[in-house]
Amino acid sequence: MPSKKRIALVIGSGSVKCAAALGLMRVLEREGISVDMYVGCSGGSLYAALLALGTPVEAIAEMSAALWTRDLTARPNRRALLQALVPALVKFDARFSLRDDRLVNRRLEEVYGGHRFEEAKTPLYITATDFMTAEMVVLSQGALFPAIRASMAIPLIFPAWELDGRMLVDGYLSDPLPVGVAIREGADVILAMGFEAAYQSRLSTLARYVFQFTSVMSNNLLTANFAFHNLAHHSEVLLLVPEFEQKVGLFDTEKIPYVIEVGEKAMEKQLPYLRQLLAA
Amino acid sequence: METSVEMVGSVAVVAVSGSIDALTAPELAAAINQQIEEGHTNLVADLAGVEYTSSAGLRVLLGAVKETRSRGGDLRLAGIRPDVKKVLDLSGFTSILKHYPDRGSAVDSYGG
Repeated sequence: MPSKKRIALVIGSGSVKCAAALGLMRVLEREGISVDMYVGCSGGSLYAALLALGTPVEAIAEMSAALWTRDLTARPNRRALLQALVPALVKFDARFSLRDDRLVNRRLEEVYGGHRFEEAKTPLYITATDFMTAEMVVLSQGALFPAIRASMAIPLIFPAWELDGRMLVDGYLSDPLPVGVAIREGADVILAMGFEAAYQSRLSTLARYVFQFTSVMSNNLLTANFAFHNLAHHSEVLLLVPEFEQKVGLFDTEKIPYVIEVGEKAMEKQLPYLRQLLAA
Repeated sequence: METSVEMVGSVAVVAVSGSIDALTAPELAAAINQQIEEGHTNLVADLAGVEYTSSAGLRVLLGAVKETRSRGGDLRLAGIRPDVKKVLDLSGFTSILKHYPDRGSAVDSYGG
C-alpha cells in the first residue's frame, strides 16, 4: 500500500492568468484527487484563499470576474504627483502609489472580509514581501483580507500594506512562484502553477517601460528560485505553465473562461504521470 | 522510458525516449553511470524522443553533469523538444548545460 503523498498546489503571481488554477482544480476534482495545502502569491492568493475555504470552482470564477475589473486602477492617486515633485513638503513614504486603492480594498473586503485563515478547510499560506528588508513573509493566520491585500500590493500601482509593523508589498518581489513554502510545510507532490510576465511589444510609454522592466526582473527571479527549489525538493515538483495562445492582459476578466480552459488542458497533460506517481 | 547507448568516436550518446520522471529516473541514472564507470565521460544525452521531464528527471541530469565534469568530461544535450526546453529554461538548466539542435552537432562539439 503506497503511503499517502501530501499534495500542494502553489499558484504564482499572474493576475487574471491565475484563474487557470480553477481549470487545474476541475481536473483534480473530477479525478477525486484532493489537495493538502494551498500556497498563493499575488493574484494567485485570490484563488488559493477561496479554494482553501472550500468555495466551489464555478463560484470562484464568478467572484473573481466581479472582483478584478479594469476600473480597479482607473482612479489616480492625486497626491502622487505632488509626492514625487515635492517629497519633503507632501510626505513621501512607503505607501506611495500612482493609483487610488479604495475600490480594490472595498472589493477585497466584500469577498474576503470577515474570513480568517483559521476557517480554511485546507491549510493556506499567502506570501508577501517586506518592502524594507526584501524578506518573503508567509502569512498563515489571522484575517484574510490584509494578507491578500498585501500579497497583491504591486509597487507603484497600489500602496504597500502595513501588517504587524511591517510594510508589505506584492509577493512576486521575493518569489513569483513560492514553491519553497510548500517544501517547508512538508509537501511531497507539488503542483506549481506559474506564469511568466508578458513582455511589451512596444516601449512607447513610461508605463510600458516600467512593466517591461519589472517583467524582466520577475521572470529572472522566477527562474532563479524555481531552479533551486526544483533541485532541492525530495519528491516531485510538477511545473504547470499554461500556454496562452490568446493575449491575456492584466484586467482581461472576460477571458476567465478561456484561461480556465487552458489551465484544465495543462493539468490534463500531466494527469497520467500524476496518477502513476500517487499510486507508486 | 527507454534508453540506448551508441559510441560515436570517443563520445557516448545516450538516447532517451518517453518520460524522465521519478518512476524512470533511476533507470536513466543507471545507464549514464555505467558509461561514466566505463570511462566514457564525454556524454551526449539525445533527448529527441523525450516528451516530458519532471524535477526528479532533472536531478539525474544534474548529477550526471557534475560527475562527468569532475572527471574532466561533460554532459551535453541534443534534440530537446519545445515543451521539455521550456522546463529546462525555467529550471535554469540551459544556463549551465550546453545544448544542441541534434545529436550530430552535440557530438561534433567535443571536437572529434
